[in-house]
Amino acid sequence: MTTQFSEEIEEAARLWVIRTRDPAFGDWKGLTEWLESDPAHLAAYEAGLETDAWAGELFTHAPRPATPQISPRRVRWLALGGAIAAVIAALTSWTVLGPNHSPQEYATTVGEHRTVELDDGSHVVLNGGTRITIDPEKPRQIELADGEALFTVEHDENNPFVVTIGRTRLIDAGTVFNVVHQNGSLDVAVAEGSVIYEQGKNGIRLNAGDALSRSTLDAEPVLRRASPHAIGAWQSGLLQYDNAPLDRIARDLGRNIGQPIHAAPGSDRMHFTGTLVIDGPAEQVLPRAGALLGVTFTPAGDAWKMTPADDTIP
Amino acid sequence: MTSDCSSTFVTHRLVDSRAADARRAGVVGQPSSIAANREEHIDGLQRVVLNERNRLLRFLAARGAGDDAEDLLQDLWQRVAGTSGQPVADPISYLFRAAENLMRDMRRSTVSRERRQFDWHDTLTPAEEQPLGERVLIAREQLREVEQALAALGPRVELVFRRYRLEGTGQAAIAHELGISLSSVEKDLQKAYRALTQIKAKFDAE
Repeated sequence: MTTQFSEEIEEAARLWVIRTRDPAFGDWKGLTEWLESDPAHLAAYEAGLETDAWAGELFTHAPRPATPQISPRRVRWLALGGAIAAVIAALTSWTVLGPNHSPQEYATTVGEHRTVELDDGSHVVLNGGTRITIDPEKPRQIELADGEALFTVEHDENNPFVVTIGRTRLIDAGTVFNVVHQNGSLDVAVAEGSVIYEQGKNGIRLNAGDALSRSTLDAEPVLRRASPHAIGAWQSGLLQYDNAPLDRIARDLGRNIGQPIHAAPGSDRMHFTGTLVIDGPAEQVLPRAGALLGVTFTPAGDAWKMTPADDTIP
Repeated sequence: MTSDCSSTFVTHRLVDSRAADARRAGVVGQPSSIAANREEHIDGLQRVVLNERNRLLRFLAARGAGDDAEDLLQDLWQRVAGTSGQPVADPISYLFRAAENLMRDMRRSTVSRERRQFDWHDTLTPAEEQPLGERVLIAREQLREVEQALAALGPRVELVFRRYRLEGTGQAAIAHELGISLSSVEKDLQKAYRALTQIKAKFDAE
């Protein structure tokens, strides 16, 4: 494969393979134009994808006794097969079947959202790259192995709904709550009702608008206030930030409006906490966001320029 | 300030597939008139497909669909039209992603058909006649070499690769987690992928 393309094309193709894998990738126009600019590009891109798939298979499937497997996600996809299976799967939601099944894992690949509906009317929306396990014997006890999920729970005093994250338990009390779990770090935000965070003997009650985060498995949890409206906003076309630098926000916005936004130098030192609505054309989205961010967006050809609004410079 | 925004929540719900009929009737060429005339039937993702039709077609064609781009867009359209309401964060990107997946799956099934076997071992070694035990050994050897090569690139490159490629974490999250810039993350990934390409080429040649 290596001798087929020039070094330069191969390198460019690899970069596209890397970039398109990111759940946040949005430069489809750029990819289209690059593919169109030289017939060799498509073949190089396919070769790059093949290498990427090969490496993924190796890590996921090559038998390695005594080494934990990364994730059975890949198996699920291959098992579906067919040209359109991935597209269908990306758009459907699951309904959890009745008993007589062993614990089931539900996983999303990056960039996908899925809903798992439970018999009792509760449902869980999975953000991309998320894994949960449900034991049909105990459908109201869900393990969040990794990722982010928004739980909307039918409350039952006698049969509490419990989310487990390793040794940590989150017990609902009539609730909508969002949980992010990555390598032991945990963030819980409660939109409605309340949740009890239970780690060992310690219990902390979180009411609507409360959020708790913990940087590592053994770190002390830190409490903060969160806007109940913004919790789980990722599923509704909103960009949500907690003390995020403006240059990152510019990139996000640019992806969503489909035009690049060039952030003025120094924007990485300005931060924003809050939620931006990204619905509508750029001409509406940007002024609305600008007012919140304290910046001005000005058109610059096919792109936009983001500059701090003078009176807000600290 | 966030509460002002939340009133303008829009989720993209798919109502029915009547818009697909409109498309078959050949009126999709004027997306604005369809959107106006059939406002009540076309919603969310369907409207995005209409609005993005030309860009999606161009992408599919460039992505290897060639003259079949129209047919594949129709496939995409029907998947979208036949699905019940699901909120989608970034509908345009979502559709392009779905189009990309469609092309990847087509490619995969073509390759599989050519090899007349769906066993994953096929992707590891082209020689189907190799007995299973030997293929397992080869896969293990390849993995060992890949892991060595990644380790040789330094712990950060290896960590970034694992987080990104194997665990599916986004580049921005990795950059944040490690306190490094996005471009550093990308450079690390390029190093890892370059090494993978070399190893695969070596094994392919053997």
